[in-house]
Amino acid sequence: MTGARRPPRLLVKTLTVTFVTVALLLVVVFVFVTLSVRGQVRQSVTATLESSQRLFAALETRRQKEMQMQASALAENPTLKAALDTYQTESRRSSDDAVHGYLLATIDNELRKVAAVAESDALVLVDTRQNTIGAAGRFADRWPRGRAASFAGGTDGGAFDGIARAANGVFRVVAVPLRLDDARIGTFYAATSLDQAYADELARLAGSRIAIVSGGRVLASTLTPPAAREFESHVASTTPTEGTMALDGDLHAFRRLVAVGDTSFYALGSIDELSRSTQRAAMRTTAFIAIGAAALALIGSFWLARLLTEPIDRLSTSLAVMAASHDVTARLPMTGSSREVDALTETFNALMASVADAEAQTEAAYTGAIRALAAALDARDPYTAGHSERVSVLSVAIGRTLGLPADELEVLRLGALLHDIGKIGVPDHVLRKPGPLTSAEFAAIKEHPVLGARILHQVPFLARHLPIVELHHERPDGHGYPYGLQGDDIPLDARIVHVADAYDAITTERAYRRGRPPREALRELWRCSGSEFDAEIVGALGNALPGITTDAGRLVLESA
Amino acid sequence: MHRWARPLFTLVLALIVASLCAQAPDRGAVSGRVTLTKRVRGTALPSVAYPAARTIGRHDAAPIRETSNVVVYVRDPAYRGPLPVLRVEIRQQHETFVPRIAAVTIGSIVDFPNDDPFFHNVFSLSSAATFDLGRYPRGRTRSQTFTRPGVVKVYCQIHSHMSATILVLDHPFFTVPNDDGTYRLPLLPPGEYTVVGWHERAGERAARVRVQPGQAATVDLALPVEDSP
Repeated sequence: MTGARRPPRLLVKTLTVTFVTVALLLVVVFVFVTLSVRGQVRQSVTATLESSQRLFAALETRRQKEMQMQASALAENPTLKAALDTYQTESRRSSDDAVHGYLLATIDNELRKVAAVAESDALVLVDTRQNTIGAAGRFADRWPRGRAASFAGGTDGGAFDGIARAANGVFRVVAVPLRLDDARIGTFYAATSLDQAYADELARLAGSRIAIVSGGRVLASTLTPPAAREFESHVASTTPTEGTMALDGDLHAFRRLVAVGDTSFYALGSIDELSRSTQRAAMRTTAFIAIGAAALALIGSFWLARLLTEPIDRLSTSLAVMAASHDVTARLPMTGSSREVDALTETFNALMASVADAEAQTEAAYTGAIRALAAALDARDPYTAGHSERVSVLSVAIGRTLGLPADELEVLRLGALLHDIGKIGVPDHVLRKPGPLTSAEFAAIKEHPVLGARILHQVPFLARHLPIVELHHERPDGHGYPYGLQGDDIPLDARIVHVADAYDAITTERAYRRGRPPREALRELWRCSGSEFDAEIVGALGNALPGITTDAGRLVLESA
Repeated sequence: MHRWARPLFTLVLALIVASLCAQAPDRGAVSGRVTLTKRVRGTALPSVAYPAARTIGRHDAAPIRETSNVVVYVRDPAYRGPLPVLRVEIRQQHETFVPRIAAVTIGSIVDFPNDDPFFHNVFSLSSAATFDLGRYPRGRTRSQTFTRPGVVKVYCQIHSHMSATILVLDHPFFTVPNDDGTYRLPLLPPGEYTVVGWHERAGERAARVRVQPGQAATVDLALPVEDSP
């Protein structure tokens, strides 16, 4: 955790995994939709054109039939026929313009009456040579009198259904012969102009684009001008019934609705245009799904992450507490959230148990070593033999009387054992000198607490014991050494060991004096309590002494 | 005309010719044969909406030879003599005018009896005679006198497919060929003539002929001809 890059949080990881999964899924769906849309659109356009063709063909057949009926009925006008026949007879025999004018006026008049009830763009009367005799209706002016119009019959509608090219325009016509008895005297056309308006109307009805191609040319269309030109060049030579082609950059499907004479009616649909709109719709749908999926993924990820991290967080909190208290004996509680986490907890607890065992063994080894060291130190001077061991026992007894906790007592035990370790650095002749010490010698003696602290400083395990070693010659009145600390500035441990040390020194025989009995020693201590010793601790010693039944106690009693 | 009408008509013509002969014995004649090279009548047109035969009882009628629809006459003979006044019938039977062709002299009367069990009408828009005889039921007859020479087309206002043609001439030199197509124009003064074979639809064919006194020139006429105006 101390590196420049910390690993990501579990939540971030679950979010990432979910989002990546969702994104991949959406991409796959989108690609699939995009690919399939084009094929489907192509099919649907073709199907639409096919159904429009069927519909158109049916409607067209019906419309042509109805128009034929209507035109046939209208062509039965006796005045019209009489006038036409008389005009033809008269014009063969004379050139009396007055007579012709009268007859032509009669024809025009009849045609106008008929046109008023007919639905056609133009009603035209032509003679047997296709010369226009008269015309009425919106587009009558495109059929000037006397001009010939060509007629191409339809393939399916018979001779009565066809395309007529007038002087000024191309017309879809229903042709009804005018007959007298069995003879044909002319033809009556109910004509529909094949112009832009007609193409627009067809396009509206068919729901597709329309192109009317006549004689290799596009007469009218609802295509864009460049598309119309391309279409024209494509169908100029052949008149395909259906197919696809690129027009103005877009792929179009086309189908011939109907062919009459040299004129074909085509319905066209742009596959690309429809694909684009369908794809836009698919994209919108995918976007909605994406937003929904992202929201779901977010919620799911949070939930999953919490499910995973919550017990781990609980464990790490417990661990943090353990670490802070240096408590290797504590055990982690089971989270009960998952088998894996519980297994981890169990393993950790087992590990901690073994660590606690190892620590205990290490401590025992340390304690043994220290004890041996203290015994070796004591052995340097016959008078101080067993001193450290006794001070240790006494100190623990005092501490217990004062109600110190177990771990403090442990510190006290070891610290008391080691309190004079610094005397290693005091020369034998000073230490063993039977007589009074010179001031230089005494100064050397007084060095031993600092020396001891310096030696034990190397051992981290003895950090809590150092104050005992360093400060066990300080006095509450500030006349102690090495620092001259006062009262409560001196740690309780050090003060306890100070009292125990003094007691053992008084009760132990020295080279220069006899050992004194315990009661006398206590009295001596009481006398100096307050100034040299902590009164409370001296009291505690007094209370503790009768209960000391250890080896040290016996030593004390023996020496007493 | 009825079956008996044609011999009657021929008889009348023969009488006229006989009377002319009596006045001028140095006359010549033109005879010949009219042939129709194409079927003129009954050129049915293909149609579903407009059936070819739509007149009632039409098929019961006896077939009429197409040559009876031809008139052979002399064009502008500059005749100054008296004109016989004819009375000719064109009957209305089975929605058809029978006969469909009639040739008369100026001042002649044509009767139009209605034999059909429904109303008919007779009208004309032609410049030679513009008239409308109105509508009338079965058994009635209406008549029209023709006073100007020319072709008069006659129609029925009720039945638009009916038509008849009446050739009004200012001279007596005309005839309708026999069933075999032969014809004879007698009692023509000697001279150069144009003989015309005229059919209402097939058009007309003209031929120049020189008539010698007491001789019969032969002119055969083949119809139809190119209809040149």
